[in-house]
Order: sequence, then C-alpha cells, then structure tokens
Amino acid sequence: MREVTKTFVLTRFDPDQDEAPRTQEYKVPVREDWKVLDAINFIKDEIDPSVSHRWSCRMAVCGSCGMMVNGEPKLTCKTALSDYGDRVEIEPLANFPIVRDLVVELEGFMDKFKSVKPWIVRAKQKAAEEGTYRQSTEELSAFKQFSMCINCMLCYSACPVVANEPEFIGPAAIALGHRYNMDSRDEGASERNQRFREEGTVFSCSYANECSEVCPKDVDPAAAVNQAKFNAVIDWAKGLVMPKGGS
Amino acid sequence: MKTFLLKVEPVIWLLFGQGILIGTILLTAWLLVIGILIPLGVVPSDALAYERALRLATANLLFLPIGKLLLLAIMALPLWKGAHHIRSLLVDFGGGERDPAVASLLYLIATAGSVAAVMAVIRL
Repeated sequence: MREVTKTFVLTRFDPDQDEAPRTQEYKVPVREDWKVLDAINFIKDEIDPSVSHRWSCRMAVCGSCGMMVNGEPKLTCKTALSDYGDRVEIEPLANFPIVRDLVVELEGFMDKFKSVKPWIVRAKQKAAEEGTYRQSTEELSAFKQFSMCINCMLCYSACPVVANEPEFIGPAAIALGHRYNMDSRDEGASERNQRFREEGTVFSCSYANECSEVCPKDVDPAAAVNQAKFNAVIDWAKGLVMPKGGS
Repeated sequence: MKTFLLKVEPVIWLLFGQGILIGTILLTAWLLVIGILIPLGVVPSDALAYERALRLATANLLFLPIGKLLLLAIMALPLWKGAHHIRSLLVDFGGGERDPAVASLLYLIATAGSVAAVMAVIRL
C-alpha cells in the first residue's frame, strides 16, 4: 500500500512543566487507508511515548477519541487522513479544560448529563410477573435516533453557546433528556421539562446548528433541542391552564 | 431582569417560532408578489389595488377576522423573530454579559411594533 509522509502538529501540555499549551511537530509515514487516530497512535508507539491521548474502541462506538483536527471537532477513529493535506493540526477538544496534551477534563460535563435524569423515571415499577414494557415500532422510532449518542462531546466543542456560557448544559445532555421524554415507558417528562426551563438549558441555545454538523452518529442534537423547547413551552402552557397536575 | 426574561422565554420563543414560519413562508410570498411579480407584470398591477386589498384585509372567515389576523401576523411576528435572532447572534459574538439589557431593548422594540400593528389593523 502507498505511503506518504505527513506532518502532524500536536498540542502538548504538561501541567507540571508548561504554563500554557505548546505545539510539537512529528513527521509520520502514513498509509492511505489510515484514520487520524492511527497516526496519533503511531506517534505514541514509535516516535514519542510521552504523548497523551484518549482512545479505545477504534470503531466510533466508545466516543473517547474526539479531538480538534485542523480546527474542527472530529472523532479521530472515524476521520480518514486521506481527506487532509500534508499538514494536520491535532488539538484537544475546544471548550474543555486540558488535563494533558490531547486529554481534556470531562468531570463537570458528566454532572450536566445527570441533571436531566437520563434514565427511565416511573412512579411505580411493574412487578416482574406483569411482564415487560412493550413498545411499538413507532414508539421506538420517536426516540431511537437520540439514543445513538456516544457522549463523544464533539457537540460541546462545536457549540458557540458552550464557549460563551460555561453553565449551559449543552446539546448532548438536552438530546439525552429529550430521548427519555420521548420514551413511551417514561413518566419523568415534567421533571425534565422543568429542568429545561431553567437558566442555561434549552432556551440558551442560539440555533447555530453546529452540534448537528459535527455529530459523528447523526443524532441531530439541534433537532432534539428544538423539540425539547417546544415540549417545554407546551408543558409551561399546560401549567398555566391547569396549575395543579398539568405540568 | 434576567429572571423575568427567563420566565417569559416560552412566550418569546413561541412568537419567535411563529415569526420564522411567517417570515419564511408568508413574508417571502408577499415580497415575491409585491416586489417581483407585480413589477414584472406577471400579476396584474391592480391585483393589490386599494379596494381589493381592503376587501382582503377586512375578510372574515366564519366569525374570525381572518384578513386582519393575517396582516397582524405578517407585521408583528417577524419583529419577534428578528429581535430574538439578533439577541442570540449578539450572545454568540460574546455579548452575554450585556444580554439582559440588549434583550430588553430588542423585545421592547418588537412589543412597540406589535402594538402599532394591532392599532393599524383595528383601524382598518
């Protein structure tokens, strides 16, 4: 297979030594079928073992290897190197604090996910003998797309609101909450809609649509945000008409 | 002000959403007819002659003054769309801190425009 040499410019940052992130260049003989992640792994294995980056599954399922490739948030295991020129810049995901090199801090964002109760909420669980919760194809398709999120956080990296408003819960968390609101087995929509009407949630979205542009799993978080806005408004209106039990 | 804006956000969002609908469909069709089709002669120039336009504007469907509602929607809702979009755009460009003041001003303009539109259709 044909090999070409490309230059990779990696962000390097060691919190014990560096005051600010710097860059380092590596020349890598890349094969034409390589993904961006293959080149970073090559650098780590063959050139400079001190490079830190996250990755795991190599098949766009685990969501670990999100990085900025030439300024755009990409899942590096799914991004073909053949789409890029001789010089490829790899940075850690934008809008996140850097832990080291290409590794970012995700802790605070996991709390945002938890705040939308991403699980099936029911007042009372069915007893085992009552059988399973059956769903029709239509009921499944109402939320299936939004359940494909792999928490790769590319949408947070692309979102202009996340960049300006650190408290914004963000596209993936809203899509995840909306996924459960649309689930016929769930009874927690009013709790989530209440959360969605708080500061820094659905109405902070400024319709840039960048989240859906960069989503590697076609979740279309922007659609989820807009549907969640509509549901939150309907829920709010119901609360006005029926103050008790309406929302 | 921030809390108040958050409270009225569902109402503003509804007006904004309808403004998008009106702005992209009705207003575009309106501009197409008035700005292009009439000057080109595709639509006869007396299509929107005063008497005909007045009849359209004062038309009723069942008991609904549909003509007046349509005019009101075309005039008022795009103002909310514009105000909300400009607000979002300014926030995206880093004006988050001034957002409460900017939003209040923009929505005040939209409110004034809407009130003027209501007055205008009532007087028809």
